[in-house]
Amino acid sequence: MTRKTKNTISGIIRGIVLAFYLLLVVLPIYWIIVTSFKTNAEIVNTQHITYWPHVFTLENYQHLFSTMHYATYLKNSLIVTLSTALVVTLLSIYGGYGMARFKFKGKGAATIFFLITQMIPSILVIIPMYVFFARVKLIDTYQALFIFYTITNLPFCAITMRSFFEGIPYVLEEAAFVDGCSRSQTLWKVVLPVMFPGIVAVFVFAFIGAWNELIAGTIFLNTQKMWTIPIGLKALVGKHNVEWGAMMAGGVLALLPTAIMFIFVQKYIVEGLTAGAVKG
Amino acid sequence: MSLATKRKLQPYLYIAPIMILLLLMFGYPLIKSIVMSFQDYKLTKLNKIHWNNFKNYKNMISDKNFWLLVKNSLVYVITSVIGQFLLGLGLALALNKRFRGRGVYQSIVFLPWAFSSFVVGLLFRWSFNGEYGVINDLLKKMGVIEKGISWLGTPGYSLAVIIFAMIWIGIPFFAINILAALQSVPAEIYEAADVDGCGTFRKFFSLTLPFIKPTIIMTILLRTIWIFNSFDLVVIITEGGPANYSQTLPSYMYSQAFSSYDFGMAGALGVLLMVVLSVYAVIFLKVTNYDKAGDF
Amino acid sequence: MKKRLMFVAALALTGTLFAGNTLAEEWTREFEGESLTFLDVAPNDVRTSYYEELFEKFYEDTGIEVEYQSVPWDDAADKITVLGASGNLPDILTTWSGWLGQFTESEWVVPLSDYIGDSIDEYTDVITDCYWKSEKTRYGDIYTVPDGWMVKGIYVRKDWCEELGIELDPTQDWTWDDYFDLVEKLTDAEKGRYGATYRGARGGFDIILTYMQGFTEGATFDQDGKILINSEECQEAFKKWTDMYLNGYAPEDSINWGFAEMVDNFKGGLTGTLINDSEVAATLIDAMEDDQWMVMPFPVSAKDGICYNTMGAPYAYSMSSFCENKDAAWLLLQYMTTAENQADYCVLTGQIPIKKEASDLDYYSEDGYYGAFLHQMNQENVAIPATYGPFDYTDLHQGLLHEEVQSYLLGDESAEDALNNICTALQERMDEYLAENPDTEIETALFVSK
Repeated sequence: MTRKTKNTISGIIRGIVLAFYLLLVVLPIYWIIVTSFKTNAEIVNTQHITYWPHVFTLENYQHLFSTMHYATYLKNSLIVTLSTALVVTLLSIYGGYGMARFKFKGKGAATIFFLITQMIPSILVIIPMYVFFARVKLIDTYQALFIFYTITNLPFCAITMRSFFEGIPYVLEEAAFVDGCSRSQTLWKVVLPVMFPGIVAVFVFAFIGAWNELIAGTIFLNTQKMWTIPIGLKALVGKHNVEWGAMMAGGVLALLPTAIMFIFVQKYIVEGLTAGAVKG
Repeated sequence: MSLATKRKLQPYLYIAPIMILLLLMFGYPLIKSIVMSFQDYKLTKLNKIHWNNFKNYKNMISDKNFWLLVKNSLVYVITSVIGQFLLGLGLALALNKRFRGRGVYQSIVFLPWAFSSFVVGLLFRWSFNGEYGVINDLLKKMGVIEKGISWLGTPGYSLAVIIFAMIWIGIPFFAINILAALQSVPAEIYEAADVDGCGTFRKFFSLTLPFIKPTIIMTILLRTIWIFNSFDLVVIITEGGPANYSQTLPSYMYSQAFSSYDFGMAGALGVLLMVVLSVYAVIFLKVTNYDKAGDF
Repeated sequence: MKKRLMFVAALALTGTLFAGNTLAEEWTREFEGESLTFLDVAPNDVRTSYYEELFEKFYEDTGIEVEYQSVPWDDAADKITVLGASGNLPDILTTWSGWLGQFTESEWVVPLSDYIGDSIDEYTDVITDCYWKSEKTRYGDIYTVPDGWMVKGIYVRKDWCEELGIELDPTQDWTWDDYFDLVEKLTDAEKGRYGATYRGARGGFDIILTYMQGFTEGATFDQDGKILINSEECQEAFKKWTDMYLNGYAPEDSINWGFAEMVDNFKGGLTGTLINDSEVAATLIDAMEDDQWMVMPFPVSAKDGICYNTMGAPYAYSMSSFCENKDAAWLLLQYMTTAENQADYCVLTGQIPIKKEASDLDYYSEDGYYGAFLHQMNQENVAIPATYGPFDYTDLHQGLLHEEVQSYLLGDESAEDALNNICTALQERMDEYLAENPDTEIETALFVSK
């Protein structure tokens, strides 16, 4: 087989693989979007499923903005989520680096402790937190959610960050030490640029973890002017029925900010900050 | 302070911020749930809290559904993790090479991860409805089936739908992680291999894999724990039905414990999960040689 | 929504609901400057704007500020658990009947008898003689003021019946066997039509219990605390009910259906009957044409000719024991349930008023949407059956009850075994409860009008 045919074949296989993933993702999303433009009567018509809106309507979106204060929820979600993601990423860099690059007493125990935090029944964590927030008057504030989300997302993100550090050859740092850099300088100037993709990935995880969180939101927030998007969506589920149209429209709108964030950060995941500089 | 002490303290300085935060936050609930797990601790009977001689644990294990739940949980966790891992790895490898439109493509295929599991759960529950779900309608139109399948009403299928939803959400998580790790692999290593004339497969196993191994190990470990504990998809899609055939241990026990305000029981389940998952974590890290991974 | 809003607009044009009774009541300003909190567990645009307006009026009349807090229905139980466990419940909270047992046991809510006092005469008979009587029997006092009243009925596809030449008269009694006949006739699998909206998931056993209680005079336990629903007649009844599913009069999928699927299916034209609360009428008025559906009263038992109907208050109000100014909180409760405010609320949310004065409204006449529901409340043979028992059964309701039925439907166990397991579990709870509370008065069915 010539190199050329080999390349063509592998190109075709890659094409099929890429198409498979695309369909897997696009079909359900298509369904959500199409549904969001249907009237409720059409959505629940169980006798005839339509794949394109019979009657195209914007009423579901109007409903979200006119009666659901969707814009307020969006603002609240953005404030809480962005601040959480930034702080979590920063703390994870230090923690992850410490865990990856040093041998010290209690390292194994620390790892297990990080993991265990994920196994405590959430309600047993939330109750003492509530008592604390109530005492310092933080109930129904952004700060409560910010603190809670930061702490609950930290263990995962720190461990993930650690694994990225461990994937970076130590020789890079040694060379920097030889040049007389301090550890902290080495971390910021030499190591982080190389693992920028990992940092972005951790940021994305923290962002999404906070963006979609529901339970703590419903518990620490009381008034609708403080609600985040997931709470607003959950309120579309009533005792007897689900408002499908508004729910799907809300799903689309909840996705938009994250989709935009993906567009911004995705290239860093595959390229890194200074891809050429280090690798060349 | 001498240089030696400073050296010794250095690692602790790096992890101190995180450790302090986590201990403050989780230390108390952790100890409290261990203590409660050995007590009769009901919110409705707070004046009658007492030690109860492992009754919570005994009740848990003697529940007639216990082994069915264990089986379901294992099937759910193992297939979800393997599915997410293989599909995520495949996606990461496919994305690791430049092609036209990669940016847009990437932004789209990562989207499932951005959905809240609550919306995804509702979407799946609705789409897989046996009577008016879009899945049956499509399958009928394509001629695959003649009569609608009762996905959520049939043992086996109902759990499969939950697993499918779980995999769908989680592929991007693995893909992002692995891709990020792949991107940190120094390019000169591949150049050297090209000179040596290594084949694609050999290149992957002997060169790429060692670099991304720490990430793969940790991602699998974290996801296993996370998936095991997460039950919102179960609750939303099937409520564990029919007759507990799609119920997992955490979803069943927590709903039982919370609906009867029995925090002793919730604590016992938490402790059981902690023990099982910690043992799993230790063994997994040992077997995969995690500590040695990434030593270059 | 539109139709309901139009109705409300019409009210506004013709004057208020109480044209002859516009004397503004004098409200005390004794608590001026105080503030209270109120928690709504089922917020939606209609309810939220109703409450916000109401609290504004309340502020003008009394000088007390009320903060409207809300939590989505699905997460409400969790939120209240945390609030209660941490001692932070709001002053007034909406309490779904299923939670009251736990709230009273945990002493999170306070008894209201003394507050209600003589005003008890303002309430309709069904509230005083059934609702509060049952609360007193089960919890020893009155703990909630109903927000409205909810009766169960059977929603039927009127157009399907007409096609098939079936005539139904909502003013006449019918039996459960008539209902099963109707379900069979409406089923046409070819056309994708099923007679019954079978509820298989959580809550699915509730209606089976009600049906079986037609053979036990509406009781669950006898006066010695022995379970009654495992008699031969009840076993037959259990099988007859589940046959609707096994014979294919309900979609195969419905073994795992919950609330969302039920209403959607009826609206969407898959099923011909739907057993549900009067509250659902509000949704159907919006979603369907008037000639498509009608409401039939609950069928009567073939054994004793009694119609057992589990009525109740959808989201009753209770006062938290953490409330620091209980008199102000009571003032708010009174304000929320004045005949006028209460009637506005009921029209908006699809409930039946609880104050005598309001129940005379034209909207609630027997030929309106609520005709069949109201009709039931005026019949001598209508009774509210007993609940599962005085004990806490939330975990059973969450699991065992419907799971055993599902196991039978899947062929994993016999009908006898399924029902037996359910009865054994309930009996165990009852024995335990009676051992601790030997003076318990065992619940019996309560007749709605004497």
